[in-house]
Amino acid sequence: MSPDELLRRLAQTLKQEIAPAVGEAYPKTQAYMASVVLDKLSQQLALAEAHAAAGRADVAALARDLGELLGGSPLPAALGRTLAGLSGAPDKHGLNALVAALYAAQAELDTEVFRQSLARIRQTLRLGLDRELVYAA
Amino acid sequence: MSATPGTQTPSLESRIAAYLRGKLPQAEGLRLGGVERIAVGWSHETWLFDAEWQEAGHAHRQGMCLRRDPGNALLRHLSDLGEQFRVLKALESTPLAAPKVWWYESDPAILDAPFLVMEKVPGSCPSPWGREGRAFYQAAAERGALPRSFTQTLATLHTLDWRAAGLEFLGVPAAGPDFARREIAKWRELIALSGHPPEPVLTDLIGWLEANAPSSSRVTLVHGAYRTGNLLIHEDRISAVLDWELQVLGDPMYDVAYVLSDLNREGTELLSNLVDRDAFYREYEAATGFTIDDEICRYYNALYAMRSVAFWMSASGLYAEGRSNDIRLARTRWSVPVVLDRAARELGY
Repeated sequence: MSPDELLRRLAQTLKQEIAPAVGEAYPKTQAYMASVVLDKLSQQLALAEAHAAAGRADVAALARDLGELLGGSPLPAALGRTLAGLSGAPDKHGLNALVAALYAAQAELDTEVFRQSLARIRQTLRLGLDRELVYAA
Repeated sequence: MSATPGTQTPSLESRIAAYLRGKLPQAEGLRLGGVERIAVGWSHETWLFDAEWQEAGHAHRQGMCLRRDPGNALLRHLSDLGEQFRVLKALESTPLAAPKVWWYESDPAILDAPFLVMEKVPGSCPSPWGREGRAFYQAAAERGALPRSFTQTLATLHTLDWRAAGLEFLGVPAAGPDFARREIAKWRELIALSGHPPEPVLTDLIGWLEANAPSSSRVTLVHGAYRTGNLLIHEDRISAVLDWELQVLGDPMYDVAYVLSDLNREGTELLSNLVDRDAFYREYEAATGFTIDDEICRYYNALYAMRSVAFWMSASGLYAEGRSNDIRLARTRWSVPVVLDRAARELGY
C-alpha cells in the first residue's frame, strides 16, 4: 500500500467507523475533520510528483518567454537576477520572488512590458493554482 | 478550566461568580444560572449566563456575557479584548445598538486569561450558513422589517459621531490611500506571523492592491465584518451589533463592499441572505447621504480576499505551531488556494 493509499484508508476509517461512534459533539467534529485532512493529504501526496514535474515545465517555459519579452532592453538589476535564478528555483519560492521583483521594478519598466510580463506570469500562476484546486477545492 | 471547546467546568463557573461578588458587593447570595458556552469559534471564548442575587430585599436577575481571550485567537494580537471593551464603552453614548459593557480584566490571575463582562442582549444570532439559518433569513426577508433594520443599523454605524464618542484611539487614517494601505499592512503582518510558505498569487494580489489603493476622504467607524451571523436579532430587528474585533476608522465602503460580497450569501441573491440588493442601495444611500461607489467596492472585495487568505494562513499556522489542537484549523490550509483562486479571478486570471 502506497503512503497516499494508506492515508486514504485512514481517512475512511475515521469517517465511517470512528467519528460515528463518538458521542460528544466536539470530538466527533474533530474526528470527521481529521478524516477530511487525511483525505486531502492523500490526494496531494498522490499527485505531488506529477504536479512538481508540470510546475517545473511551466516555469521553464515562463523563463524562456520572459527572456524574450524582457530581453530587448536592460533590466533592473534585482529583476534580472531573479529571472536568471528562476531555473534554480522552479517552484513557488522562485515564482514568488519573480512576482515581487516585477512589482518592485514596475516604475522602471515600460508600462506595456510590465503588463505583458505580468500577464505571462499570471498564465503560469493560473496553471499552478488549477493543479492545487484538484485536491484543495 | 478545560481548554476544550464545548465544555465548561464548575470551577470556572464558581470563579466567575466569585469575581462578580467582588464587583457587586451589595449583591447577596449571588449565583449564576443558565450558564452556557456558545459559538465554538476560532476567536474569543464566550459564556452566557444569568446572575441572580438579592439586594435590599428584592430579587435581581441580570443576563451577562463573558468573553475570554484564549491566547490563540485566529487574529492573534490584532484581536484585543481591551480594545473591544473601549469600543463598546464608547458606543454606549451613540445611537448604535450594541451591548453595554461593564468590566474588563487583563489580569490572568482571575480567570486564567484576559476577559470582559457585558450585557446579554435579548435576541438570537442564527448562522446564515446552515439550512435552518437560511430559512430564517428567507422568511425574515419576505416580512421586510429585518432587512430594513439591517440597512438602517449599518447607516447608523456609518453616521455616528466617532470623535464625540472618543473612538479616535482606533487610529484616524489620513485622506488619500492611507486607509487601504493600513489594512494591507495589517493583513500582511498577520500573513508574516502565520509562517505560511510564500504564495506567488498572494504576492501578485498584494502588489495589485498596493498599486491601486483608492483615495478616500470620508472617515467613519467601520465594523469590518458586518453581516448576518454577527448581528443579534430580536423581534425582527437588529438588537445589537456583535463581533467587535475588526473595527477601524476608515472608508464606509469597506463595510458596504462586505455586504455586497458574494462571500456572505449562500444559495440566494439576497445580500447577507437577507437584503434585496436594490433596496440596500436605495435605503443605505438615503439614510447616510453617501453614494455607493461600485468601483471602490470591487477594490475592497479584492482586499477581503487578501484578508481571507491571512485568516486561513493564520488559522493553519496556529495548528502547525501547536498553539491550538483544533483540527478545523489544520483544515484551513486547503482553504488558502480556494481563496487565492477567487483573488486571481478578481485580477482577471
